[in-house]
Amino acid sequence: MQDDTDTARATDSVYDRIERARASLTGPQIAIAVALVAALGFTLLFVQDPMLHDSLHNFRHSAGITCH
Amino acid sequence: MATDYLERGAVAGVAGGLVYGLFVATVGNAFTAGLETFEHSHGGGGPVVSELTTTVASIGGGVLWGLLFGIAAFGLAYFFLEPAIPGSGATKRLALAGAGFLTVSGAPWLVLPPQPPGVEQALGTETRLAWYAGLMALGALVAVLAGLAYQRTEHHHTAVRLGATALPLALLAVPVALAPANPVHGDVPAALVAAYRWTVVFGQLVLWATIAGVHAWLGGSDVPATDDLDYPATAD
Repeated sequence: MQDDTDTARATDSVYDRIERARASLTGPQIAIAVALVAALGFTLLFVQDPMLHDSLHNFRHSAGITCH
Repeated sequence: MATDYLERGAVAGVAGGLVYGLFVATVGNAFTAGLETFEHSHGGGGPVVSELTTTVASIGGGVLWGLLFGIAAFGLAYFFLEPAIPGSGATKRLALAGAGFLTVSGAPWLVLPPQPPGVEQALGTETRLAWYAGLMALGALVAVLAGLAYQRTEHHHTAVRLGATALPLALLAVPVALAPANPVHGDVPAALVAAYRWTVVFGQLVLWATIAGVHAWLGGSDVPATDDLDYPATAD
């Protein structure tokens, strides 16, 4: 049993995960995931449009991000 | 397979975000509004949106904040780093949550602690953004080094192992010593600033812990899955 777990762990590394992502994901899928993260982060933190910026004011303070 | 990870990360993120949105709704909004009474003049001549909009948008922002962490940390990073993160089950998730907190909040706050409204900082916004970004990178580096130290000390005594894992945290003292002075001025009493800061810290900790807990509860993937591959995975 112990050996089984060890073998399983030995065959699963960060490198394997990258290989697996290459095998099972398409470029657009990765692009969508990265774009989603970027869009969320940008919207919440950096958009300077006064409407959006001010309406997220309390959120930014609650999250400990200050910009003024 | 990888999309399972993204999905689980997003679900855990939304769950954490809802809890955090509730925190913003009950504590964050009122606390921030109360502290604003110490504010003499708001930089750009006052907010351009109504109180209600700010309240609702800030709660929504809290939910999206959780979704962001869920997708980025537990959807993307967890998929790639799972074999390298110490522990198993819920411990593994908490380790990643701790690394996430350190990167996004913990390390940057050592130099740039959360400031309540009504407090003006001497350093310009651009300078602070640059420092914040640099400290996030350092936080991520420290987390990775701690993980590596934990792996490298596999056959050592637990105390040695924990000591080696905690050692990279000492790196965080470097920017604290080097950072430019950032004197603040405002009329918010020091005790209230402290209460506000710790509220913010606990808010973020609850967010990360909830995402980690829900992610562990959603289960799956402690056993390396081998589906969706074109070639047979058992080559023995």
